[in-house]
Amino acid sequence: MISLRHKAQLMSNIHCFGRNLVTASTSLLPVQLPRQREVHFWYVLPDEVKSTNLLNRYLEILSPCEKENIFSLRGEDIKKRALLARALVRTTLARYQTNFEIDPKSLKFRKNNYGKPELDWQYADDWSLPPLHFNISHTSSLIACGVTVGSPIGIDVEEKQRRLRNDTLAFAQRFFSPSEIDVLTRIADPELRLQEFIKLWTLKEAYVKALGKGFSASPFKTFTVRIRDRVKGDIHTPPHIISKAHDISVEPSDDLKNASSYWQFGLLDLAGSHYAAVCIEQDSIDTGNGSIPIELNLRKTIPYVEDECISATDSAVVIGGLTRLSEGH
Amino acid sequence: MASITSFSVTSFNQTHTLVPGCRISNSSSVFLSTKGRTFSPLTLQRRVPRFQIACAARPETVKKVCDIVKKQLALPDGSSVTGESKFSALGADSLDTVEIVMGLEEEFGISVEEESAQSISTVQDAADMIDELLESKSA
Repeated sequence: MISLRHKAQLMSNIHCFGRNLVTASTSLLPVQLPRQREVHFWYVLPDEVKSTNLLNRYLEILSPCEKENIFSLRGEDIKKRALLARALVRTTLARYQTNFEIDPKSLKFRKNNYGKPELDWQYADDWSLPPLHFNISHTSSLIACGVTVGSPIGIDVEEKQRRLRNDTLAFAQRFFSPSEIDVLTRIADPELRLQEFIKLWTLKEAYVKALGKGFSASPFKTFTVRIRDRVKGDIHTPPHIISKAHDISVEPSDDLKNASSYWQFGLLDLAGSHYAAVCIEQDSIDTGNGSIPIELNLRKTIPYVEDECISATDSAVVIGGLTRLSEGH
Repeated sequence: MASITSFSVTSFNQTHTLVPGCRISNSSSVFLSTKGRTFSPLTLQRRVPRFQIACAARPETVKKVCDIVKKQLALPDGSSVTGESKFSALGADSLDTVEIVMGLEEEFGISVEEESAQSISTVQDAADMIDELLESKSA
C-alpha cells in the first residue's frame, strides 16, 4: 500500500515556497494521464468529509448552475452527496494537467445528444490534448469517478448491503433478460441471489452508461451480462494452485455495425462494502483474442486533503472481468 | 458525528442569474441579461407555462405517486414531495427509480414500457404516464 499523503504534503510545501504558508496542503496532486486500456478509478467516502470549511471550498469550484442545482435539493445528505460528486469530477479532471495547472472551476461540461455528461475541453489551442472520458456513480456512502483516455467509460457502484423493496426474482423477471433470470433462479439462497443480482445490476448499469445513449436506447431486458467461471492455469499447474476467475461478457453487444470493438468489464469488491463495475470500449484489433486485462488504478481521495493509492493488497478485490489492480504511477 | 447544517456561501447571490425560459406573459420582447452580458432581444411567444401543459394527470394520481415515492425512498414524514419533484433530487438512484416503477405498476395495475421504465425522472412524468396508460386501457 502506498500512501501518497506525504508526497502530497511535500509537493504543496514546494509549491508554497515563497508564498503564505498559513494554509496547509492546498494543491491537488497532479497525475499522469491514464494509458491505453487503463482506467483511473477515484472515489471519496462522504462520511470522511466533515469539515464545513472543506465543503465550502468545494462549493467554490462549482459553476453557478451546479450550485443552483445543489441548493434546490432537499436534505443535507443529498446536498452533500451532490456537492461531493461535482467536486470529485472537477478536482479529478483538473489533475490531468499537461503544460499548465488547471483550475477545477474553469472546466466546462456539456451533454452528448443523449444527455451523457462530457468534458468540454476548451483549451483548443493545444491540439495535443487527449480525449479524456469520465463517468460518475454514487451511493449514499461512496462517490466514484472513472477516467480513461480515448475510450468511452461507464461505472456503477452499489452497496453490498442494498436491500430491495421487491422480491429479487420478481424484480429480475420484470427487468432482466431471460438468461439472467435463469442464472438468478438457480441460486437457492436468497442472500446469495441478492448479491448476484446486485453484481449484475452494477454491470448492466456500467454498460449502458458506457454506451452513452441513455437507458431507453438499451433497456435492461434487451441484453445479457454473463459472468462465467474461467479456470486459470494449465496442465502443468498443480490443482491447488489453479485459481478461478470470472469472465464477464455482454451479448448482444451494441456494436453490431462496428465489429472491431467490444466492451470489457471489471467488477470489484471495494472496501468490503461496495460492488463497483467498470465498462470500457476496447478495440478488438489490438487485443486479438481479448486476453489483455484492463489496468485499474484505484485511488481513494479527499480532494485538497489527501490521496491514497489502493492496491490489491488492500481491501479491494477484483471479483470478475479481465481486469487487474495496478500500482499508481 | 457532527452534522452539517448549512454551507455558508458568501459570494453566491441568488438574484444574480435568471433561469432561462422565465415566464413573462405580457411583453412580446425582452432583454435577458446574465452576468452583465446582454443578449439581443428575444421575442417571447405567449407560451403556456410548463406546469399547465403537464397538468394532464389527476391530482389523486399525483398524490398516489408521491406516496409510493416516499415509501420507496424512506423519506421522513414531513418531506415535501410534489409533482415537480425529481426522483434524483429526492435521493433516488436508478435502482430506486425502477423499484418505484414496479410499485406504480402494482398500485395501478398497469405495465410500463421498458424504454420508459428507467427514464422517468419526475413525479409528474410518472403520473402523466400512468393516467395515459389507464385511459388507453379503459378506451
